[in-house]
Amino acid sequence: MFDSYAAHGLFDEMFLTTGDPRPHYAPLAARLRALGPTAFNRRRQLADVTFRNQGITFTVYKDAAGVEKIFPFDLVPRIIPATEWDHIERGLTQRITALNLFCQDVYHDQRILKEKIIPPDLIYGAKMFRREMFHVNVPRNIYIHICGSDLIRDNDGSYLVLEDNGRTPSGVSYVLENRAVMKRVFPSVFGAYRVRAIEDYPHNLLQCLKYVAPNQTDDPTIAILTPGIYNSAFFEHSFLARQMGVELVEGQDLVVENNYVYMRTTAGLRRVDVLYRRVDDDYLDPLAFRSTSLLGVAGLMNIYRLGNVALVNAVGTGVADDKAVYPFVPDMIRFYLKQEPILPNVHTYICAREDDRRYVLDHLDELVVKATNESGGYGMLMGHQSSQPEREEFADKIRSDPRNFIAQPVVQLSQHPSYIDGHFEGRRIDLRPYILFGEKVVVMPGGLTRVALRPGSLVVNSSQGGGSKDTWVLEDESDQ
Amino acid sequence: MTITSDPTPRPLAPTPQVDRYRAPRPLLARDADSMYWMARYVERAEHIARLLLVHSNLLIDVGDLAPLFPNRQWQSVLRIMHLPHLPESDSPAAPLSTRIAQHMTLDEANPNSIISCLTRARENARSVREIISNEMWESLNTLYWSVRADDAPTRFDESPDDFYRSIMNGSMLFQGLTDQTLAHDQRWLFTQLAKHFERIDVTCRILETKFGLLRSAENILETALRNIHWMAVLRACCSIEAYRRNHLADIDPIRIASFIILERNFPRSIRYGVRMAHNAALEIRASITPHTPSPAERVLGRLDANLEYAETAEIVSQGLAPYLQQIQATIAEAAFALQKSYFLH
Repeated sequence: MFDSYAAHGLFDEMFLTTGDPRPHYAPLAARLRALGPTAFNRRRQLADVTFRNQGITFTVYKDAAGVEKIFPFDLVPRIIPATEWDHIERGLTQRITALNLFCQDVYHDQRILKEKIIPPDLIYGAKMFRREMFHVNVPRNIYIHICGSDLIRDNDGSYLVLEDNGRTPSGVSYVLENRAVMKRVFPSVFGAYRVRAIEDYPHNLLQCLKYVAPNQTDDPTIAILTPGIYNSAFFEHSFLARQMGVELVEGQDLVVENNYVYMRTTAGLRRVDVLYRRVDDDYLDPLAFRSTSLLGVAGLMNIYRLGNVALVNAVGTGVADDKAVYPFVPDMIRFYLKQEPILPNVHTYICAREDDRRYVLDHLDELVVKATNESGGYGMLMGHQSSQPEREEFADKIRSDPRNFIAQPVVQLSQHPSYIDGHFEGRRIDLRPYILFGEKVVVMPGGLTRVALRPGSLVVNSSQGGGSKDTWVLEDESDQ
Repeated sequence: MTITSDPTPRPLAPTPQVDRYRAPRPLLARDADSMYWMARYVERAEHIARLLLVHSNLLIDVGDLAPLFPNRQWQSVLRIMHLPHLPESDSPAAPLSTRIAQHMTLDEANPNSIISCLTRARENARSVREIISNEMWESLNTLYWSVRADDAPTRFDESPDDFYRSIMNGSMLFQGLTDQTLAHDQRWLFTQLAKHFERIDVTCRILETKFGLLRSAENILETALRNIHWMAVLRACCSIEAYRRNHLADIDPIRIASFIILERNFPRSIRYGVRMAHNAALEIRASITPHTPSPAERVLGRLDANLEYAETAEIVSQGLAPYLQQIQATIAEAAFALQKSYFLH
């Protein structure tokens, strides 16, 4: 099965440089070899049919071949031993705690600016900084309830945080469905391992949402606000609503009245206490933000300010996942928690700073340049794979709007065997774990391992044709 | 006898979870709308498939015994489904039956084709996916993909009958799963209303159109041929065996009309459908505003009562076409009232 598999001098998740599988992958490698290519291929087809029949799809904007696509799924799981995960979990818990304290601070006392840790103009120049949130108290002082901090591994195998996603991180539904499909299609492979369960995520998320309910009630009404069925992540909105047993609403179903927000039911209006909104700040309220938005609810910000509805994640968290603010997260950890960061950042050049900008413009062919507030892999330049005209275009963009760009050296990203056209090839992967911040911090064991399916590509986002794998965090064997 | 109080103080028992009051889960107005249309489009697709199946078999029976008549039969299919005429075709030389079958099955430009109806049903299902059962979703989604598969046109060309049967079976599977895997609360009640509205409407149109057609063709068809056509009417309403059970092989147009309209216990009769629709409207209303009948319920209640006490003679004296048109109009009125009461909050 792996005869033609090559490591290409990268950190390989499954194989050592000797060609033997890493200890925690040995049972899997043995099972796959015993299974053989034909049987493996049959399972893969079965998985595809399962995804199709259940409608586990993702909408790709760029692709001309139809609107709905199955999120490509690779059957070979990515395995993380317990000790590695322990390190990651502590690092992520530390990180989300610091980010929440940062949001609370930056919209209230702004100590971190006054003590000159972060330059104020970087914050005030952040596209996602919301003046509307100044001195607004949010339930339980929690801003980022759900965070997806993307992790990558460098050539030596160490984990780095590539970026935080503290606005509306998506993908957790694929994590849960991938696991369900793996169990259905590949039950024997599970037998060789003790994999930590992830099925309690919807329950944990629900507890988190209940925790921030503002109005005095033991049975808060919770709803998920979706842009609708044509949104690329609609499957996830619907999935989570179903798993948690909460309503799935669109802007048109909601109305603001009497200082509360209500949803329109067949029996009249029903008050909503907590809104898990999967709509960006910009589209949330036409009276407060973009006036042309049809996706939001007029007057919602007023109710929010009054403290009569909780929004998850809070408005304005984009200041924390702005790519130009990201380099300061280690400083936040030191400032608020008086600790050293457990998970390091990737070195980042901030184009708003003159020295950095000059370096970036001189080394465009070696760097990855990103717009500070895009997501989904849009607005990026992969310097080492770009053409001279592309680099010149980006240079112009940087010069005209330096605050909007950062650059990072190319991180090699680890590779993992993936099934491509009948055999295994190495493809780059990353990891998006999901962290919940409620009464306590709960990190889901594993997360979404995203695969850059195009050969040589380092871009894993689904909107750029990426796929995913099931992620297994192993139980701690030392307990036995 | 002395009354003594219990000296040992017992702690108050904590309220068990099950006793705590939970407000019933609301149904979003938009979701009620989607449940309704999801069910209505599936029922519509099934009727189209059955009509096309019956007509393709009919022509095998009668073929070229009355040359112009088959075309008029095929055109009546268009009329039954509210379609004015056949659009310009890529292959105008193909027989009318083929063109109509194509247009009604896999033509996406036709909003009342099988593929269009199933697409809309599935889109509605997708938007209420979180409140329907997994089984319902999977069955409808699988049915949708089967008509959208690359080999669907080939399968249809090779055996239209099998294709139509798969649609009918898919619809019935979906309806069965709806009944058996969904709690019979508001969500289910709206699907029942939609299903019966559609069934009543199409059945009225089948009767009205076919009666007109066959009456006007009486002089050009011999008895045996006529009987085959009348039986096709029964088949199109899925009623032939039930009819035979009551009336043996006695093919009489008035009896057929009376059976399909007034048969109390047969689930495909108009009277049965109206009764079911009325019950559903009543239950929906009772769960929301217990004391005042809703407008839809009133309209359906009156129609239900009329049909309950109707006699064949009054249908004949009023004239079949006007009688059926009156029913269709009433159902349309009820559907509109339903929309106003529940979908447009």
